[in-house]
Amino acid sequence: MNSKECVAMILAGGQGSRLGALTTNVAKPAVPFGGKYRIIDFPLSNCSHSGIDTVGVLTQYQPLELNTYIGGGQPWDLDRRNGGVYVLPPYVSAEKGEWYKGTANAIYQNIGFISQFNPEYVVILSGDHIYKMDYSAMIKAHKKAKADATIAVIEVPWTEASRFGIMNTDEDMNIVEFEEKPKEPKSNLASMGVYVFSWGPLKKYLIADENDETSDNDFGKNIIPKMLGDGLKLFAYRFDGYWKDVGTIQSLWEANMELLDENPKFNLDSDNWKIYSKNPVLPPQYISETGKVSNSYVTEGCEISGTVEHSVISAGVTVEEGAVVRDSIIYGGVHIGKDAVIYKSVIGGNTYVSSGAKIGCTDDDAIDKYINAKICTDDITLLGANIVIDEKIKIKSGSMVVKNVMNSADKKNSKGQKEEN
Amino acid sequence: MQNNTMGLIFSENPEANLGILTNKRALAAVPVGGRYRIIDFVLSNMINSGIINIGMPTAARTQSLTDHLGTGRDWDLDRKGNGLFLIPLYDSDSTSIGGVGNIFNSFGFLKRAKQEYVVVSDCNTVCNITYDEVMAFHQENNADITLIYTDVPELSDSDLKRHILLDVSDEGKVTDMQIYPTIQKSNHSYMHTFLIKKELLMELVGDCTAHGKTSISKDILLENLPKLNVLGYKFTGYRKKIDSIGAYFQFNLDLLKKDVRDELFGTIDNNKIFTKVKDMVPTRYGRNAQVQNSFIADGCTIEGTVKNSIIFRGVTIAEGATVENAIIMQNSQILENCLVENAIFDKEVVLGKGKKLVGQETYPALVGKRVII
Repeated sequence: MNSKECVAMILAGGQGSRLGALTTNVAKPAVPFGGKYRIIDFPLSNCSHSGIDTVGVLTQYQPLELNTYIGGGQPWDLDRRNGGVYVLPPYVSAEKGEWYKGTANAIYQNIGFISQFNPEYVVILSGDHIYKMDYSAMIKAHKKAKADATIAVIEVPWTEASRFGIMNTDEDMNIVEFEEKPKEPKSNLASMGVYVFSWGPLKKYLIADENDETSDNDFGKNIIPKMLGDGLKLFAYRFDGYWKDVGTIQSLWEANMELLDENPKFNLDSDNWKIYSKNPVLPPQYISETGKVSNSYVTEGCEISGTVEHSVISAGVTVEEGAVVRDSIIYGGVHIGKDAVIYKSVIGGNTYVSSGAKIGCTDDDAIDKYINAKICTDDITLLGANIVIDEKIKIKSGSMVVKNVMNSADKKNSKGQKEEN
Repeated sequence: MQNNTMGLIFSENPEANLGILTNKRALAAVPVGGRYRIIDFVLSNMINSGIINIGMPTAARTQSLTDHLGTGRDWDLDRKGNGLFLIPLYDSDSTSIGGVGNIFNSFGFLKRAKQEYVVVSDCNTVCNITYDEVMAFHQENNADITLIYTDVPELSDSDLKRHILLDVSDEGKVTDMQIYPTIQKSNHSYMHTFLIKKELLMELVGDCTAHGKTSISKDILLENLPKLNVLGYKFTGYRKKIDSIGAYFQFNLDLLKKDVRDELFGTIDNNKIFTKVKDMVPTRYGRNAQVQNSFIADGCTIEGTVKNSIIFRGVTIAEGATVENAIIMQNSQILENCLVENAIFDKEVVLGKGKKLVGQETYPALVGKRVII
């Protein structure tokens, strides 16, 4: 195998439990974003544009959809004769086999994979963020600083700094201290989860970490502090573009809605740094005589006969006449029936909302037993994938629905009582 | 079927006249339907029938065709041994040698292919068909050649001259062909697609070539009606032959009908139409966008009004602009307060602020590639 200057490893095993019903059957990096993308398209496209042509994707939790999606890597121009994209699940060897115990252990288990390319540098990425970044510039900075490890940092508001891993640096951007979610942050430079390591030192520390039984095998908790303690040169690389963690329903919803701003902070559309994705084979979208679409992103295969305002609509969605979709994210293949109303919701793929249903409403008689204050903050309503909402069902805002909701006998009963009242 | 069948598609058709749309591109490469090229339909039909070895005679003006097709990957035709083969002419004039000459020029491809049968097709008859049933019909009836036809209503004089009509017996035997006739004796219109054994095709083409004959319809099909078992297979779905600007305009506007869309794009039976992937962002509708009865591809920015139109990938329609009954191809820009009606814009046209461009419903205004108005 030819040697490579740099190999990228994307940590894509995260469950993303705060995304609730969206990650019941798929890993977080496979969650759709922006109408035709998935979160993993961002690091993969960034690698492709940065000239990194050898990428390992470490999967673990619900990998089927992600593995299928990545396939041979062609959409990202990563189907290469030498290199390309590799899906790397945990495996069993002659001695033992185990799950990826932590981020560092995941890389440790793939030392063999990395070593066959004999790289100088390894870029470690997470599959959780929306951003466009040129990793080659960061590698250049890493070389120039003669660092052992370089960590990308972004300025966050001081009020939010205690939610992040914070890097304290000297004036030359050398990292002097790392604090995970500090109560009283000394700096507002947050780690983006993007690391460049020189492979030699990293390999040594991964092996040492694995032999330390007390370790959590995590980059942030173990590897970085250990390297700092041993006096290695850790450099902070400042990034000042758009970077968003979409780990919660609220942040996912916000990031999608930000795309619709008059002057969006993050521009999906740019010719020199396109985000690649696997395109479905679908005809253009059709807006009918009765369709009204404004301030929205809509993609291929949609048939819109209702009203769509301030929403992001994925491929193959049908919105029937009289239906209203507002402030919402609708994933692929969803059907919104006649006169149905969707407010401030995230609707999972291929879900069927029957005619006259109201999702995310505040009506007094709406079903409120699915309200989920932990997942669905900011009154966002979430419907899981592949479910059916029966005709005229009303779902209260702030709910998370993961199963079919049908007009059962019970429901009719309660309606009957209501009429008596 | 169809591992035993290969395809041969002509990228040109001298009988079609699409004016400036084919000035610099092959007929097969003319953009249609928002994100497709004419060739995508017949190519996808073959792929959906399991045909994975396809030859395509090409002449001059191949650049946009080769750009579009690349290695054939978007059609899953980048195969070992089989795949998509462009067959350029040594001599750049494909029209003088006719269909026969184009097939003769493809003998290298035909000889090397392992398949026993060939589907020979023009590129500009658009429909969604699979050839499995045609093959079953062909084999059951021991046909030498099976022609695919469709029934047409009574044709106007000008339309009649664009059709090849077939007399078909109750048993399905083709007994006569009227090639671009002046009197309509039949309502069976040949769809410029036939199925034949490779050996027989090569024999017939070799014989024509030796006698200086060039026409597939006259010299191969009509000539052999008495000698061979030539059958007609009736196709009952939607089809449109794109052979004039009028037909081109009408085909595109037909896509605004749900039944045509559902059939043609295989929404129901899952025979999808493949095309080159462009990695465009979704289409962005502005705050004041008003879009009705329109077919819109990805990557557009729409701030103005669009009605009864086909909008290709990456088109901008600025605030205050109105586009009605129009076909606007890729990356064209209609700037603020323009009015466009009954028009076809080729790629990358820019219509400056406040300009008006209005054609007639029966005679759409045609604007060439990269024109700036």
